Parts: sequence; structure tokens; C-alpha cells
Amino acid sequence: MITSSETPTRSRQSGGAWGGFADRILRVRELGLVVVLLLICTIVTARAPRFLDGPNLEQVALSATLVCIVALGQALVIIARQIDLSVGAIVAMSAFVTASWLEGRPDGGILTAFLIGCGVGAALGTGNALLVAVARIPAVVATLGTLAIYRGAAIVIARGRQISATVLPESYQEVAQLHIAGVPLLVWLALLLTLFFSWMARYTRLGRNLYALGSSPQSARVAGISETRGIAFVFILSGLLCGFVGVLWGARFGTVDAVIARGLNLEVISAVVVGGVSIFGGSGSVYGAALGAVIFAVLQNGVQLLRINQFWLDAVVGMAILGTVVFYMLLARRVERAEREWRRLATLGRTGLRVAADR
Amino acid sequence: MKRVREYVARWEALLLVFLIGTFVFGAGVSRYFWTASNISIATASFMPVAIVALAMTLIIVTGEIDISVGSIVGLCAACLGVCLERGLPIGAAMPLSLVVGALAGLGNGVMVAYVGLPSLVVTIGTLALYRGLAQIVLRERGVSDFPEWYQNIGFGTIGGSPVPWSSLIFAVLAIGFAVFLHATRGGRALYAIGNNREAARFSGIAVKRGLLGLFVTSGVMCSVAAIVLTAYLASARSDTASGLELQVITAVVLGGVDIFGGSGTMVGVVIALFVLAFVQNSLGLAGVTPEAQQIATGGVLIATLSVFGAARFVRAHGAARGRFRRRRPRALATGGRPSGGGEESVKAHAGRE
Repeated sequence: MITSSETPTRSRQSGGAWGGFADRILRVRELGLVVVLLLICTIVTARAPRFLDGPNLEQVALSATLVCIVALGQALVIIARQIDLSVGAIVAMSAFVTASWLEGRPDGGILTAFLIGCGVGAALGTGNALLVAVARIPAVVATLGTLAIYRGAAIVIARGRQISATVLPESYQEVAQLHIAGVPLLVWLALLLTLFFSWMARYTRLGRNLYALGSSPQSARVAGISETRGIAFVFILSGLLCGFVGVLWGARFGTVDAVIARGLNLEVISAVVVGGVSIFGGSGSVYGAALGAVIFAVLQNGVQLLRINQFWLDAVVGMAILGTVVFYMLLARRVERAEREWRRLATLGRTGLRVAADR
Repeated sequence: MKRVREYVARWEALLLVFLIGTFVFGAGVSRYFWTASNISIATASFMPVAIVALAMTLIIVTGEIDISVGSIVGLCAACLGVCLERGLPIGAAMPLSLVVGALAGLGNGVMVAYVGLPSLVVTIGTLALYRGLAQIVLRERGVSDFPEWYQNIGFGTIGGSPVPWSSLIFAVLAIGFAVFLHATRGGRALYAIGNNREAARFSGIAVKRGLLGLFVTSGVMCSVAAIVLTAYLASARSDTASGLELQVITAVVLGGVDIFGGSGTMVGVVIALFVLAFVQNSLGLAGVTPEAQQIATGGVLIATLSVFGAARFVRAHGAARGRFRRRRPRALATGGRPSGGGEESVKAHAGRE
């Protein structure tokens, strides 16, 4: 208690602009993530120096990008106090539809492929949006239902078929192999999207509305924010980004069937939650979710490099979700307690002043 | 109260019509549908879902949800498999698996009731965690040399009749759950918790202990389902029952239980379970693959929720209009604000929503 009430005073006294800046940096929640990330990297490198090899780092970055782009959409969904369990199925559907369009076209237009994939994703996202925003079905059950429908539809369309690299145009595969300034194009794309959506969530009216909807739907409605529009927006956007990732998925792995991206749902949700986005909605940042995705990619790679039994991965994902949620909740409770104490002291002080003035 | 009961009664009557419709559909699809062995198989194959759905009904009535049920079933099945591998008799493995299920439920319950996290978040986490534990203990192995008498729990029938043993287990449990929910103080308390948690707490209901009990019950039911399912499949794998939560939640919602908590009956859920069981069976007879069948299950879930959502919308807006009409003369009588503008602003508000 004493430390929490003293910290601001000390930083204000101790050092002007620099103290204020340092204080602000230290208060950024995502800093903890960077520390955790560096820690994991150090541990993995210490036990398997191969981790820092160029090709390995590139693989880590590539697997992080796919999860990261889906996590951007999911972060906005969770910020608006919703959840989307259908992301894996949308990725699979988009990947398969795109690949089957490209199959017969050795010189097929990559741009059209991206448009098709994004279109499929946006259409499926609109399905979710209609159910949650218009029909007002709780997001969990609505997307649990669409998860089954989308995945089932993908399996029916695919009929157990697998589209492999040999029948896909080479220009499609090259999307994943293209490098700009020594860094894969996909990584640049993920970086740009992360920057864009972080900016959007933080500085535009649309983004702020999502935070308002997430922290208190009633207050947001009273303030004139359309709940329907906000929720529809996040689900359509999440679908769109999944569609985009579906196209990249095919380009990266070369082989596409209807059962890809099975575990993606939980990976993405845990990346978002570990990235500091509050599962209760209304707080957290989009780049935090991106950092969460990177942490998971490093962890996954580390598990492979250190030859740890890969069957531990699901359990680790589950524990990470539960652990972070409990951690952030305890943190929020502590902050709340400290604020209440502050208010109490302030009221006491004011009363004291008033009493003194009266005398 | 009477009106509520009338409403529910109507929904259950409709479900019976659905059930008859399913029978007609099934008979139209295949001439094997109306054979005793097919009815027996359809029932036996759906019993694991049905057993889990009993506990899920209570959980959804209180306004909570448990998404981790499939993983708990998987964990308990893995436990049975490992026990068998280590040479433990199956008679000792079954109580052990019940304990594992209860502990898994206890984990969920403590996090929900005493740490105060939303059940959705907790059970998404444990969905991954419990499946992960199942994978750690069983890896990619499948265990399949279960004794004959044990396999009978899942597939065998009572004496010469076509009634499967598992349906006897289900019937006993269903009667127990129905009596608890509809005829005891504890059951009424669940509706109170689902309708208004604060009010329930202030009227002396032990909300936290109740929720903890529910999640433990759910865990135990999952392990009973695991025992039945492992016997039915005659093998235990770490991916046993993945995706079970979809069927369970669909059955409960189709049974007329409000997804927001506070209403629903056990009779409705039981009828809905049989509707789903025979829909799946007749789709199977029609040659529809299990993967495609999940489209039907998801579709039923979403269609039911949409129907209930529309009903709720009509009720809410109808009620709002009625209240407004009642209020207007009173406002005029007390010399309140002229009512014209008020009505328009309410309309505008409704339009914006």
C-alpha cells in the first residue's frame, strides 16, 4: 500500500522529464511481455544455440506471422467483449477455396487469389456478425455453431482431397519465399498490419468505440455508440483477416486440405490473452496480442529444439491462458484497491481541510 | 408463473412433434431405421452425450457454461486406458476415473466460484489443459484390450431385449437429475441463481458452493460418459470425444434451456437428446459422413438460438410498448411531460438499436 501511494510522488520529485518518461515506460503492460520473450529466447539459446541460426529464426518468424495476423482480429473481437471460436475453420475454408481456384491456373493471378480468400473470410465473418450483432446470440455459442458448420462445409467441399504444391502455380509459393531487405515478405505484412491495427484501435474513433463497448456496453449505448455496428465490424474484420491468412497458409505450407489449422483457435486465444488483452473486454492492446503470438512461436520452436515431448504443448497453452487470466485479474483487483485507498485518503484530506477552515 | 409453464409446455410439445418428424424422416430414408437393432444402436451411440448433457443443463440454467466437457471425457478415457495398460483391473480403474473427473470439475469450479473468473474463460483454458494432460499420459497410443463384460456397458443389451445397458444408466441418472432440478430446494436455487445472482445470494442461497458443486457434478458425469464411451468404442485414445461440447450444448439449447440462464426443463432436454440422436442416426443411414453431420448439429444450434432470440426480441419490445401505453395516462394525470415527444424518442432509440 505504502509503495503504491509513494511511487508517483517519488518519480515526480526525482527527475523531471526523464523520470516521467521512465515511469511511463515501466507502466506499459507489454514491457513485461518483451522481458518474458527475451527470457525464453535466452533459455532456449543457452540450451540449443541452433535457435539463433538464420534459417531457424526465419521459420519462427514465419509461423509467428500467421498466428499473429489472426490474433490481431481476435484481439479486437475480445476488446469488444466478444469471442470468435470459428477462426481456424475460416482459415481452412479460405485456404481450400483459394487453392482449388488456383489449381487449374498455372499462371493464375495472385491478386485475384488474395481477393477470393479475403472474400471467403469476410463472408464467413459476416455470418458470425449477423448471428452475434443482429440476432443477439451470445458469441461463444454462435461461433461454436459456425465453427462446426464452416469446418463441416470445408470437409464436404474438399471430399477428403488434398491439394499439393505440385498442382499449384509457382508464383503462389513464391509469395512465402519473397524477401525484402533479407526479411520474408510475410513478416513485413504482419508487421504493417500490426502497426495499422494498433494505431486504429488506439487513435481512431472506431477503435475507441470498441474499447467503450468492451468496458461497458450500457454506457457505450447511452453515449450513442452503435453496439450492432461495432460488434458486426469486429467479426467481419476477424473473418477478413482469417481469409487473408488462409491464402498465406497455402503459400507457406504448399499443401492444403480441409483439416488444416485445427488447433489455431486455442493458440490465437492464448496469444491474445497472454498478450495482455483483458478477456473481460475493454482493455489491452493489439500489439500486445502480436507479441503474444511471437512468444508462442518461440515457445513452440523451443519445445522442438530442446526435444521436449510435443504432447506437452496443449497443456502449456491451457496453463498459459488460465495463469495469465488469473494474474491480470489479481493485478486489476490490486489497482482497484489502491485507487479506492487513494480516493479515501483524498476525501479524508478534503474533509480535514474543510473542518480546519470551519474552525 | 403459470404463463411460463404454458410457454415451456408448448415448446416441449413442439419437440415431440420434431421427434415424430425425425422418425418419419428416418423411416423414409432407410427401411432399416425401424428395426430394433438400429434403434438400439442409435440410442447406445448417443448415451455419452446424453449423460454429459444432464449436468450441462444444470450449469446452463445457472447462466454458466462448461466448454471443457469433451476434454474431461478425453482425460478420463485416457486414465482408463493407462490403468488398463498398467495391469489394473477395470473394476478399480472406473472409480479412479470418477475421481479424476471430479478433480477436473473441481478445478473448473474453484476457478469459477472462488477465484471469480467467468466460466467461459476458465473452461476454454481447461479445454486445452485437460486435453493436453490426456495427450501427455496416453500420447498417440490407443488402448483396446478391454474385458468383454466391460464392453457390454457400452454396447450390450439387457437380457434378450434391445435396450442397451448404457441407456439404463442414463435413465436412472436422468430421473435423479429431473427430481433434483424440479422437486428440491437445491434445484429451485439453481433457477434463482440463473435469474439474478445477487438476489439469490441475498435470499440466503449459497451461490459459490452451489456453483462448485455443479462443476464437480459435471466432471463426474463426464467420467461416467467416458466409461460408457470407452466401452462403446472398445478403445481409449487421447482424442476421445473431442468436439463433444458442440453436441451437448446443442441438445441442451434445443431442449429449451435459456442460454442466458434461469429457465428450462429436464424433460425438454431429454426429448431434444432423442431428436438429435435419431437425426444423426438417420443421416448416417442416408450415407452422410460424420464430418458433414456436424453441419446439421451446428445448424440446429444456431437455428434454435435464433428462434429463441427472435422470441425474446418480440417479448421485450411488446412488453416495452405495453408499459408505455400504461404509463401515458398516468403521466398526463400527474401533470407530467407531454407524452408525444417521449414516444418518438423511444421509437428512435429502438430504431437505432
